Amino acid sequence: MKKELLSPTNFNVLASKLSDVLVKVLDSPLGYAINWGRIWSLWPVHLETACCSVEFGAASGPRYDVERFGIIEAFGSLRQCDLIVVQGTVTRKMAPRLRMVYDQMPEPKYVIAMGACAITGGLYIDSYNVLPGVDGIVPVDVYVPGCPPRPETLIQGCMLLQEKIKRSKIR
Amino acid sequence: MTSIEEKFEESKRLGLQIVKESEEDRLMTLSVGPQHPGSGHFRFVIKVDGDYIVYCDPDPGYVHRGEEKMCEYRNVIQNIPHLERPVIHDSANITYSYSLAVEELVGIEVPRRGQFIRAIASELNRQVYTLYWLAIYGIFLGHSTMFMWPTGDREVIIDLLEALTGARVTHAYNIPGGVRNDMPEGFRDRCLSQIRYLQKRFKEYEDIFYNNPLFRQRTEGVAVLSKEDAIKLGVTGSVVRASSVPFDVRKAEPYDIYNEIDFKVQYMKTGDCFARSYVPLLDMQESCYIIEQLLDKMPASGEVRAKLQPNPKGPPGESYRRVESGRGALGYYIVSDGTPKPYRVKISVGSFRNMLALPYLLVGQRLADMPAVYWSLNYWPVEADR
Repeated sequence: MKKELLSPTNFNVLASKLSDVLVKVLDSPLGYAINWGRIWSLWPVHLETACCSVEFGAASGPRYDVERFGIIEAFGSLRQCDLIVVQGTVTRKMAPRLRMVYDQMPEPKYVIAMGACAITGGLYIDSYNVLPGVDGIVPVDVYVPGCPPRPETLIQGCMLLQEKIKRSKIR
Repeated sequence: MTSIEEKFEESKRLGLQIVKESEEDRLMTLSVGPQHPGSGHFRFVIKVDGDYIVYCDPDPGYVHRGEEKMCEYRNVIQNIPHLERPVIHDSANITYSYSLAVEELVGIEVPRRGQFIRAIASELNRQVYTLYWLAIYGIFLGHSTMFMWPTGDREVIIDLLEALTGARVTHAYNIPGGVRNDMPEGFRDRCLSQIRYLQKRFKEYEDIFYNNPLFRQRTEGVAVLSKEDAIKLGVTGSVVRASSVPFDVRKAEPYDIYNEIDFKVQYMKTGDCFARSYVPLLDMQESCYIIEQLLDKMPASGEVRAKLQPNPKGPPGESYRRVESGRGALGYYIVSDGTPKPYRVKISVGSFRNMLALPYLLVGQRLADMPAVYWSLNYWPVEADR
């Protein structure tokens, strides 16, 4: 039995498991702190792609007040942002700009696809100038359905993203 | 202190090469948008000489979704949901003119109660739109209170519309033949009380925003559009009314029951940014009186929707009807070849006409006045791109 345990393959498995445990033990306090910081400072880029921006604006208004979850109505530079909320239809003219904005943002960055058009093309699926979903251009973290989504749905999407960040590992 | 000439002589003596700047080098090109807090879904290229804008080139089309082409492979009822998306916060108005055009084409008469409810939905939506526009205008001038107040008051009317139509912003309520369903019970009293509340709030808006000395300094006398230029450029809505042209489609070509309603066309004479931002508020106040009259004159009961055949189609022909939306005249031109699907649909929107005035107004202004001039044009980029 001891021989089996010390055979090279088993030893590798054991070592990798041990290292996982070690990383978890050492990394989790720091990782928790970093994730905590990321959760409460999700700042979106001010890039409106289509009409869902109306509901995005309503979500920052006094009734829904998304700021209490750390999602601040962005009026800053994209170099300071870590979230893109793709607000609706992405057209062929907007798509390169969206990708350019995404590339210029610093890591870590997250994407929320808001509305049916950003998810699959939605109502405009058979239009000649509309992309069938934004996930062909940028990697999407959370999909928020609706046409347009109510502000509550958007807030729930943001909270799901926070949950996702909380569980994600630090690279 | 050394003057420029002395510096020039000194650099000559040191053997440095001096390139005299040409007129083109003096100018700096700035691209505003689409990722810019002040531009929305829109981009314009401006050239500045120091602080003054000398050239402006608007570049719309970021949200061009081919609405007009999409109309050609759907029938007239299926067209309603995607036609209201360009202005989802003014969706009752943009489907209003479509319904009028289709009714003219198909040849149906809307019941009287249906006409009233339609007009009420359209007026309420005008307020939702204008409050949102005001909120955006406020935040772009750095007045955060003016973002919060109209956005909060907008929710009050959105609640009303939700009770009436069943959806927050995209109602699909005004349809060819009337409205989709009747009013809920107790809507009249609720509507009246909300209108009273809004009228009270308009006075507070004037106190905090329109009488604010900072706002006045930034807008009064800035980017004046004269009456002749306004007519020549073909701007509509609040922009043309701010330049002392009392044009309102509701008054000029009354549709449905608007000829029975008593209201004034509000206009101002200065034609500057302040007038362009103040006329929508006057419009909203007038709209409150219109809603009160509509609720008073409305028949107590009756049909709200004319019976339509399942696949409505008219004889081959064409129709053009327009309404006064939140941004100005909004018209639909529909050509039918006798099949249920339209042969051609052309949407003529107020936003696009107002946007065309932007290069004329921005040239000669300071760069800091750009957001004030841009958003005073009552422009919604998604609608202009269609």
